[in-house]
Amino acid sequence: MEEGIVSLHEKLVNKEITSEELVKKSLEKAKEAQEKYNAFVTILPDAKGVNKITSLLSGIPYGVKDNYSTKDVLSTGSSNTLKNYVPFFNATAVENLQKAGAVIIGKTVLDEFGMGGTGTTGHTGVVKNPWDETRMCAGSSSGSAASVACGVYPYALGSDTGDSIRKPAAYCGIVGYKPTYGMISRYGLFPFASSLDTCGVLTRSVEDAAIVVDAMKGLDENDMTSWDSSDIHLYDSLKKQTKAKKICIIPEICDIKRYPHASSELKEHLENFQKTLEICKSLGFTVEEVSIDENLLNALASVYIIISCAEATSNLSNLTGIIFGPRGNGTSTLDFIKDHRTKGFSPLIKRRFVIGSYVLQKENQERYFRNAQRVRRLIVDKMKEIFKEYDAVILPVGTGPAKKLKGPYDILDRNTTILEEHLQIGNFGGFPSITIPNGFIDGLPVGVNITGNCYEDEKVLQIASLLESKMPYKGQIAGRKEK
Amino acid sequence: MKFTKEMVLDYADKLLIGLNEEEVNLVLEEFQIIDETISSVCDIPDLSKVEPMTHALDDFTFVLRSDELEDGKDGYPTEVLLRNAEKVENDEIVVPKVVG
Repeated sequence: MEEGIVSLHEKLVNKEITSEELVKKSLEKAKEAQEKYNAFVTILPDAKGVNKITSLLSGIPYGVKDNYSTKDVLSTGSSNTLKNYVPFFNATAVENLQKAGAVIIGKTVLDEFGMGGTGTTGHTGVVKNPWDETRMCAGSSSGSAASVACGVYPYALGSDTGDSIRKPAAYCGIVGYKPTYGMISRYGLFPFASSLDTCGVLTRSVEDAAIVVDAMKGLDENDMTSWDSSDIHLYDSLKKQTKAKKICIIPEICDIKRYPHASSELKEHLENFQKTLEICKSLGFTVEEVSIDENLLNALASVYIIISCAEATSNLSNLTGIIFGPRGNGTSTLDFIKDHRTKGFSPLIKRRFVIGSYVLQKENQERYFRNAQRVRRLIVDKMKEIFKEYDAVILPVGTGPAKKLKGPYDILDRNTTILEEHLQIGNFGGFPSITIPNGFIDGLPVGVNITGNCYEDEKVLQIASLLESKMPYKGQIAGRKEK
Repeated sequence: MKFTKEMVLDYADKLLIGLNEEEVNLVLEEFQIIDETISSVCDIPDLSKVEPMTHALDDFTFVLRSDELEDGKDGYPTEVLLRNAEKVENDEIVVPKVVG
């Protein structure tokens, strides 16, 4: 299970291994990952291999983040409010993978409803980082990242509203790909913030990310925000590397001089990023600097919180404990809804809901919600201007390797740096964005992110794949390879 | 803007959510930071003239499907739709009596 999709596929086709054997191995590893890292909400011991190999994904096991609806399989969103919820339909992305013959092994832990970045708020407990169990995986696709990193299977599904695929990928030393908004249908994905939510995947190589998203994507009549991507062939495009690329960095985000009190970890992270830029240059890429107004960048985190909380408040108002979820106590309907929500939601979610409610009040909407949406446009317009001249923006992910699990976390504080939050730009504009591993600090992996213009996923993956080919981190398993 | 415990509890109550003391304090702390950031954003010249961006792909034309059942798609049986509800009687969900 530590190999990539193409290699496993060839072995299946050549009958060197059967799908049943792969499934058995994957289940064994899943059990181990559960014991060590708490990566799963549900493991499916009765998962069956397939006999017919009809596609690259046929017969190969995978994991699904527990905020995707899976028919007749518990789907909790890692929340007590849905701890007993069993959907009667598959999310379209899951359905598409089923049709390709892929085999679900388990449902992975997330931060409750995807609303966190630590992997500590799921109702089944904290997810630990396979590189160092005292550290977090980041989130919200924490269990998917941990299970892929330790080799349970070649890929797991994630979702990304702010950086929920791309940051855990960096912390776990793997690849995390969020395609252009709407390329993959969101039908059956539990909504968090509909204008930002994007389905995607965590893998151990760019190639595998391309193969999986090729199978997940497509126009879906059940999601009016999905679009026809039938002329986009991600995997095939990797074989057709074309002209030299022109990429840029944003100095307001990644210039070490902007962080006079930088920790040694941050210094090393940014120095390592410079080395990655040198590799880009050696590949023939043009690398230039483009500035963005710091006022806009400093507002990023608050703009994200305001928009995402407002949308979440509305989206999750259907959680009442009446039509699904455990019913609360009380004598009136309102009483038992309140009891269900008060007991069911974690403190983080409650906080976000209250913020969402406040910014949506009639008297506050203009100052908070509308201004946040206006700043969103200014940032996106600036990025689109950049993409007229550059194929992609390349930036380091976060301020270094995975953080220690001892809190406090997920509270927007005054010291939050733009380095921790800039991946949200990818969601503001619906841009395709991929994180790949680019080195180690104190034995822990760090990542670099590449983001391009909407619908130019092929170009973004080509850049990522070229860069990946010049670094020794492709396909790495946690704790196994050279640190 | 001065944020108070009463305000936070009022907004939470509108959402049918109860908060304990610690949760109230966390909201107050975070709100102060958001308010300060938004104050600085409000200084951006001509911000009010910018069209709010409500969606990731706002150059996108949405096509609505027709609101009709397609052939062969008859929806789901009632018992399937109700199977996640805890209290069900005769194809209906049981809730407390609200009219005397």
